[in-house]
Amino acid sequence: MIQFPPADPRSVPNHHPALDTLTEYAAGQLRAGFDLVVATHLRGCARCRSEVAALETLGGSLLNTIAPAPLNANALAATLARLDEPAPPPPARNLDQLLAGARRRWIVPGIWVAPIDTPHDPDDRVFLLRVGPGASTAHHRHSGAEMTQVLSGALSDGGIIYQAGDMVELAGDDAHHPKVAGDQPCICLFATQGRLKPTTLAGRIAFALAGV
Amino acid sequence: MPKPSDTGPVEIGQLMSRIAAGDRAAFAALFQLAAPRVKAYLVRLGSSSAAAEELTQDVFLTVWRKADRFDPAKAGVMTWIFVIARNRRIDGLRREASTVTYGTTPPEAADDDAPSAHDQAATTQSEQRVRQAITQLPPDQQAVISLSYWDEAAHAAIAQTLNIPLGTVKSRLRLALMRLRAVMEDL
Repeated sequence: MIQFPPADPRSVPNHHPALDTLTEYAAGQLRAGFDLVVATHLRGCARCRSEVAALETLGGSLLNTIAPAPLNANALAATLARLDEPAPPPPARNLDQLLAGARRRWIVPGIWVAPIDTPHDPDDRVFLLRVGPGASTAHHRHSGAEMTQVLSGALSDGGIIYQAGDMVELAGDDAHHPKVAGDQPCICLFATQGRLKPTTLAGRIAFALAGV
Repeated sequence: MPKPSDTGPVEIGQLMSRIAAGDRAAFAALFQLAAPRVKAYLVRLGSSSAAAEELTQDVFLTVWRKADRFDPAKAGVMTWIFVIARNRRIDGLRREASTVTYGTTPPEAADDDAPSAHDQAATTQSEQRVRQAITQLPPDQQAVISLSYWDEAAHAAIAQTLNIPLGTVKSRLRLALMRLRAVMEDL
């Protein structure tokens, strides 16, 4: 089991999802799996929680302006008749259980990957990746967008250090070579659209083993 | 004076506390005010009329069951209903694949430690203020805002629909959101 410390309700990390990503999240339009990464960021980011709350208020205001669609004549009666139905069982797993219950697969010493069981597109990948200090991932390209939430340790990519709580978004055409920064292992939650495309042979072997 | 079809802040706010106390007449009143908008929302996002009816019932069953958790200090009623409808729709789309809920966003699962600067009247009024502010945005910004909520279109698709570059969609959206945020922070 992977245990993550509870986030400080007032903590604000340094790197956030873009405003349009938060808007897509608030509007319910983000791809499955990617919304998990944003939800994980929100848990540790008071600033983005407040942005999302404002964007949800915007959704509520828009709901007030939409032209009503008439319901069937018996809709109210049918709903009233169902009020005493027992509530459906709560969802099988929440966010913490989902992350904590992910099964790790060691790839090489120092590196494991744990696929996350979200209802994402079969071509997308949603996974936790743990990389030991000093290691780096293979240089790779993406076939689509990638979102990364740093859960513990720190990550260096493109000259920027991302700490626990930070989120990184990459567009589809970026090639990059993230490294672990500092002397602690780095655990990140990733969602990638399509498979990663390593640019070296060793990388292709490693990524094939990891199933990402 | 609010128009008769308008979900005015006082009326709807009072309904919620009565619903939380188990008042079915209040529930029926809220249903009649808000359910046709929820259905319209679901239809706009691509549900068939029959599926939208079904989902709307589910949304209001959730409203009934969770009414005691509605906190008027954290969100207006329509915002709360919007979030429930959004989440039910996503659950419905994904039911085949999984039963996972992320359930971390306010206000449906608001975090209790967050400080609240708003009182009840202010949050419900904020929806109306935002609504007014939307109507004062330039038409190009209004179009981007409502498209990003109502039509299951990523920003790339919005760019295509409006025949403008993706960068323009993002900058319009950002401008519109900044103006709206200024309104919300004023409250």
